[in-house]
This record gives sequence, structure tokens and C-alpha cells, in this order.
Amino acid sequence: MPSILPALTWLEELVWATSIRESTWGYPAIETTHVTSMVVFAGLVIMMDLRLVGWAFTHAPMAQIQKRLFPWQMAGFVPSASTGLLLWCIDPLRYHGNVFFLVKLTLLALAGFNAVAFHLKTSRMVGDWDRDPEATAKARQAGAFSLLLWSAIIIAGRLIAYNWKV
Amino acid sequence: MKTKMVLVLLAAGALYAVQPVGAHHPFAAVYDTDKPLTLTGVVVKVDWVNPHGWIYMDTKESDGTVKHWTIEMSGPSQLSRHGLKKADFTDGMVATVKGYQGREDPALANGRTLVLKDGRSFYIGSVGGPNDGADR
Repeated sequence: MPSILPALTWLEELVWATSIRESTWGYPAIETTHVTSMVVFAGLVIMMDLRLVGWAFTHAPMAQIQKRLFPWQMAGFVPSASTGLLLWCIDPLRYHGNVFFLVKLTLLALAGFNAVAFHLKTSRMVGDWDRDPEATAKARQAGAFSLLLWSAIIIAGRLIAYNWKV
Repeated sequence: MKTKMVLVLLAAGALYAVQPVGAHHPFAAVYDTDKPLTLTGVVVKVDWVNPHGWIYMDTKESDGTVKHWTIEMSGPSQLSRHGLKKADFTDGMVATVKGYQGREDPALANGRTLVLKDGRSFYIGSVGGPNDGADR
């Protein structure tokens, strides 16, 4: 299998990537935006998941909670994901050797798959979430997986600092 | 169904527990405060980067061999706040670093104080280490 290291080296050596990596304020600003927008995203995902598993807002229709929270979840996700991509771009070789980063990527893929599967299958039954037991069971599973995965993603992200090699 | 949820959340909680021992104390896990160092040598290269900068320094050992050190500093915003600039470094210059040696890698060190040839000294320490820098 051909190595991706030359591509990562090319990316790392780009002028804009180097300039952000060596910046006094740019990098801290990007990192701070990554964390604060993640807080908005994760907090709202947790609340929606708690409704999905039946632990919060149980008298509110699931469809309403999902519909109202989704735009705000995206308001958190978009800046968090783009700053995350940017952070990776400016030091791709170091992230490549970081076990917690690789774990985080894997978990992100799983969380994405869980979310897409939920939106495709279960959102079709959106009117029935609160009435149909099968829809409720699928929604519960998606909510539980989401809670587990996003917690693990955030933990893995924080631990990246502790596998940081020269 | 509730039991299943409790089990899932317990599993999530277990993820919090499965962390390397050094995770909450990264300095102590990587560097040894019982091994203070004073290194004077040639600065081969400096990585003035986020999140942590690095000084690559060659020192002459007592038996005449050259030792290649990798010294961790803090990032550009912290270093700037203590008065240091990227332009203060030139490849090939002589400098002195005081710090602590790595536990697993004896050629790794955590730098706390940098003294340049013109006598200026700067605190270059990262969060988590002992508060013994030049201007603290």
C-alpha cells in the first residue's frame, strides 16, 4: 500500500499551514473556536439523545425536539468540524503518529454512520416516534450509541495532547 | 430497557476510567524532576510552533562525543509573552537551557529557562512543570 507520508509532508510544508502553525494568536484562536463550538454541538446532541433514550423531556414530542435542536446543533458542528480540519492540516504528520487522534477519527466515522442511519431509517417514521414501539426502540438505540460515541470522541480529542511526539 | 441504558452509560463511564496513568499529569509522566539539567551547546534548529515549540541542541559530552538533545518549550504565544521572539534564534548559535530530563528518553528534556549568548534569559517552560523559570 503506497504511503501517505509524502502527501502529509507536502501539506505540512504549505506556506499557509506553516504560518498558522507558527502563529502567536491564530492557532490559539482556531483551537478555542474548535472547543467552544464543540461545546454547543455536543451539549445539544446530548439533550436530544437523552430525549431519544427517554430520560429527558419525556412529555415533549421527539419530532419537535429533533426539529428545533438540529439547526443549532449544526451551528455548533460546522465551525467545530472546519476548525478541526484546519488544525489537522497544519500538523498532519504529528497527528498521523498520534494514537488518540486515530481513535477519534474512527469514532467520528462511527458517529457519522450512526447519525446517517438514524436520519435515513428512523426519521421516515418521525410522526410515529412517540407512538410506534419499533420506531421508539430504534430511536433509543441511536440515542444510546450517540451518547457513547460523542463522549468517547471528546475524551479521545482531549487525550491527543498526551500522545504528542516530537 | 432501562437496564440496557444503564449498562450503556456505565460502559461510557468506563471509557473515562481507561486512561493512561500519566494523562492527568503529563509533565511528571514524561519528565523527571529529580533529573535537572543545564545544557550548553549549539542550537541546530528551532521549531517555533504550536502547541509546543522545540529546540534541537547538540552538546559535547565529557568523553568528546556529541549528544543530540530535543528540548520542549511552550508555544509562540506563551514565549512571546515572556519576551522571546522567533528572530532571537539563529541556527548554529550557542545557548544554555535549564530544564529536566525525560524519563524514557534520556535525549529528551523539558526546557524551563533559556539563556542566550548576550546574557538575556527567558522563561520557556510549559504548563505542568515546576515553577522555577527565569522570571517567575
